[in-house]
Amino acid sequence: MKAIVSAPLLSAANVDAGYGHVRVLEDVSVDVRQGRIVVLVGRNGAGKSTLLRALSGLNRPTSGRITFDGRDITTARPNGIVDAGLLHVAEGRRLFRRQSVADNIELGRYGLRLTEQEHGRRVAHIHELFPILQEKMNLPAGSLSGGQQQMLAIAQAMMREPKLLMLDEPSLGLAPVLVDQVLAAILALRAQGVAILLVEQMVERALEIADDAYVMQNGRVIASGLAADIAAGDALHAAFMGEHGAPHHSEPRQSQP
Amino acid sequence: MDIDVLAHGIVAGSLYALVAVSFNILYRPTNVFNFAQGELVMLGAMIFASLTSLAGMPWLVAFAATLITVGCIGLIEERIAVAPILARSQTGTGWVITTLATSLIISNFVGRFWGPDPILVKPPALLSMESLDILSSRISSYEIALILVTLVLVLIVERIYRTLKGKAVMAVAEDREAALLRGIDPGSLGRWSFFLGAAFAAMTGILASPVLYASTSLGPDLLLKGFAAAAVGSIGNNRGALIAGYVIGVTEAVGASLLSPGYQEAVIFIVVLAVLLLKPEGLFGSPNARTV
Ligand SMILES: Nc1ncnc2c1ncn2[C@@H]1O[C@H](COP(=O)(O)OP(=O)(O)OP(=O)(O)O)[C@@H](O)[C@H]1O
Ligand SMILES: [Mg+2]
Repeated sequence: MKAIVSAPLLSAANVDAGYGHVRVLEDVSVDVRQGRIVVLVGRNGAGKSTLLRALSGLNRPTSGRITFDGRDITTARPNGIVDAGLLHVAEGRRLFRRQSVADNIELGRYGLRLTEQEHGRRVAHIHELFPILQEKMNLPAGSLSGGQQQMLAIAQAMMREPKLLMLDEPSLGLAPVLVDQVLAAILALRAQGVAILLVEQMVERALEIADDAYVMQNGRVIASGLAADIAAGDALHAAFMGEHGAPHHSEPRQSQP
Repeated sequence: MDIDVLAHGIVAGSLYALVAVSFNILYRPTNVFNFAQGELVMLGAMIFASLTSLAGMPWLVAFAATLITVGCIGLIEERIAVAPILARSQTGTGWVITTLATSLIISNFVGRFWGPDPILVKPPALLSMESLDILSSRISSYEIALILVTLVLVLIVERIYRTLKGKAVMAVAEDREAALLRGIDPGSLGRWSFFLGAAFAAMTGILASPVLYASTSLGPDLLLKGFAAAAVGSIGNNRGALIAGYVIGVTEAVGASLLSPGYQEAVIFIVVLAVLLLKPEGLFGSPNARTV
C-alpha cells in the first residue's frame, strides 16, 4: 500500500520560472489528480506554455518544487521526466516534419524496451483512435494537415502510455470538426485513466470537458477550482478583460505553416 | 579524357567523400563542424602505420586498435572542447575556436612524436598497389577495392540512420527541443556521434594510407577537400557527399592533367565556390532544410 495514494499525481508548489533572467512565472501552484482533465486558461502571454515547459524540464524552476507520481522532478532532466510518464505535446506540435508518420510514431517509444507484440499493440491502439494516420504512415509528417499533425503529436505521446499528458493548444488552427475529434480523443484518454493537463484558447469548449480549471494572468494563478465553478465565476472575465479592459479574442489563431 | 585520370579522380574523390561523411556523422546531432577532423584522419593513418609497418601487428588487430583509440580521442574532444561550449549556448559558435585548437594540439603532438617522414603502408593481404592492366588503365587492385569499400561504407552509414537511434539523431538535427520532449537525450547521441565520427575519420586515414602514404601533412589537405565535399553535397547528406567527393576528385585529376601543378587546387575551389554561390545549401539539400 502506498501511503501517498490520495496525493495528486502532479503537484507544482510555489514555482518561479522563466527564460534566462526573464522571470515569467511567479509563485505558481497547480495540482493534477489521477484520471482528471485539468484545463489551464488565460490570455496570450499569461505564462501557460511556460508553466508546461517548467513541468517537462525545458525551463528549470528558479524556486518551488514539482513532484510527479511521488518523485521530486524539480531538477530532473526532460528525458527523465518523460521516462517517469509525464508527456508534453508542445505548442505548435513540434513534429519531425522530414521523417515519415511511421518514424514519428516509432520515435514516440524511443528508449523503451518493448516487445514486437507490445509495439504492434500500441500502434494498433493509435490507429483505432486516429484511423486517418493509418493511411498516411509513409508520408512525411510535414505533409499532414494541421489536424492530422495534432493527432500524430498525441499519438507519439501515447506510444509511452503516459500517466499524465500535457497538451498545449491542441485546437490551434484546426477546423471545427477536427477540434471535436481532438476533444473526443482527450475524453477517450481520460476514460483509459490518463490524466490530462490542457492549455486551450477555446475556453468554453475546454471548460465543458474539463474536471478542474486554473486561470492564469501575468504569470500567476488568479483562480482555481472545479471547471463548472470557474465557468460560472467571474475570474475568467477578469483574466480575459486584462488590465486595459480590452476583450480577448478566443477564436483560434492561424496555425503556423 | 584518359580513363586513368577519371579512375584516379574517383579514388581521390572516394577519400574526400569518406572525410565528408565523418563530418556529417558529427554534425547531425550537434550542429558542430569538427575542424580537428582532418587531424583525426591523419592520426588514424599514423597510428595504424606504426602498429603495422613498425610494430608488425596483424592488419585486423591494428585496424580495431586504431579505430578505438581515435574514437576515444574524439570522445575526449567532445567532453573537453565541445560539450562545455554547447552547455552554455546551443547556438553559440565557440566550438570553431576550440575544435581548431584541438586540431593544432593533435598536429603538434603528432609532429613531435613521429616527425615529418611519411611511412609506407602496404595494403592488406590479397590486394596490392601494383597497377592492373585492365582496360589499359594503371589502376591497382587496392584502388578498385577502395572505391567499392567506400560505396559499401556510405550504404552502411545510411542504414544506421534507419535504426531507431539513427532516427533519433535525425530528430535532434531537426528540432533539438522537440527531441527532448520525446525522451531523447541529445547529449548522449552527441557523445556517441563524436566517438563514431572520429573512428570513421581514423578508418578513412587507414584506407588512404596505401595510396597517399601516412604522413603528418595528410590532415590539412583532406580536411579542406572533405569539407568542400560535405558543403557541395549539402551538409548532413551522405549520398550527396559521395557524389560531391567524386566531382571534386575528378575535377582535381582533370585539372592536374591539363594544367601545371599548383593550379589544381585553384580549380577545385573555383568549382566549389561556383556551386555554393549558385546553391548555398549544396547540390542535394532543400533551401529550408532546417526548421526551428
Ligand atoms: N523564449 C522566450 N524568451 C523570453 N521570454 C519569453 C520566451 N517565450 C515566452 N516568453 C515570455 O513569457 C511570457 C509568457 O509566455 P507564454 O508563451 O508562456 O504565454 P502563453 O500563456 O502560453 O501565451 P499564448 O496563449 O500566446 O501561447 C510572455 O511574456 C512571453 O513574452
Ligand atoms: Mg502558449
